[in-house]
Amino acid sequence: MIFLIEYDRPKGCLVQMKSFADRDKDVAQTERLNLELENHSRGIDREIVILDAASKTAVRRTHRRYFEDLAELLRFAN
Amino acid sequence: MTETSLTRTQVNKLGDRLRKGEVSKSDLRLLEDYRRSFTEAYDHVVEKIRNELGLAPTGRRAKSTKSIIDKLRREGTRLSTMQDVAGCRIVVSDMLGQDKAVRRLEELFPNSNLKDRRKMPSHGYRAVHVIVPHSNKLVEIQIRTSLQQSWAELSEKVSDVVDPLIKYGAGDEEARFVLNSLSRVIEKYETSELRLALDELKDSKPEGAISDAIKNAQAAKKQAIIDSLGEASEVLLSAERTKNDFSN
Repeated sequence: MIFLIEYDRPKGCLVQMKSFADRDKDVAQTERLNLELENHSRGIDREIVILDAASKTAVRRTHRRYFEDLAELLRFAN
Repeated sequence: MTETSLTRTQVNKLGDRLRKGEVSKSDLRLLEDYRRSFTEAYDHVVEKIRNELGLAPTGRRAKSTKSIIDKLRREGTRLSTMQDVAGCRIVVSDMLGQDKAVRRLEELFPNSNLKDRRKMPSHGYRAVHVIVPHSNKLVEIQIRTSLQQSWAELSEKVSDVVDPLIKYGAGDEEARFVLNSLSRVIEKYETSELRLALDELKDSKPEGAISDAIKNAQAAKKQAIIDSLGEASEVLLSAERTKNDFSN
């Protein structure tokens, strides 16, 4: 699966996540660019990234920072 | 979008404009073309890892514009030489598994280059990176243990919500201190656990069988990390609150 992620760094929070089938990688990439151009027009500075993974669970495991706040990330040994 | 073929000079000129902060819509489109030029190399590397090693990496087809610009400014590198425009990440349980994954990747990609950031941590960041050249492009594979991964995610988050400089060894001193301390605690216990596991392998104990010595080492590791996290939590959450108060 392909995941388009928009993340607000200073606030440390996920703005949106959209998923696409593997065959739709071009669609996802075009959507990523359009979102970036739209944010650029509006003066919004966000991290927009495309990730590939077997599942949403896998993405949440390898890219926790997009989904969890600081307090949650500090509990990793529990 | 039609993928165009940018010359090295065009790519580097684009990088120079991005570095200076001159980000136009046409440059964002050009950068997207450049990202897409990694598709073949990225697909080749990730598919080989999935199909031939049976590992399940999470791939990042393209580094975000924000991260590319930050890196261009921070390191003064040329865009055409950036090694992590496309890449993927593999998380394994421990250093024994990490070493094994790295060996298998080196066998799979014999022309790859290895960056072992466990030997030379970068501001506390520990991992192994395997850089694979393919079709004149580079694809970066990050191999991290779950503890290295948790530390890296924490460090990134602190950089996001407290101070972007922390990740690169500057900014809030107290926050850097607790992150570095935590990294050293993880390193100490991961390394001793690896030594124990290797000794037991030498003694022909079957891989995967967990002895009492390893169980005790794991318990000690967990406690040491919990203690270190307790101290880190106080400092980092307070730094986040201070930054939020200042922003509001």
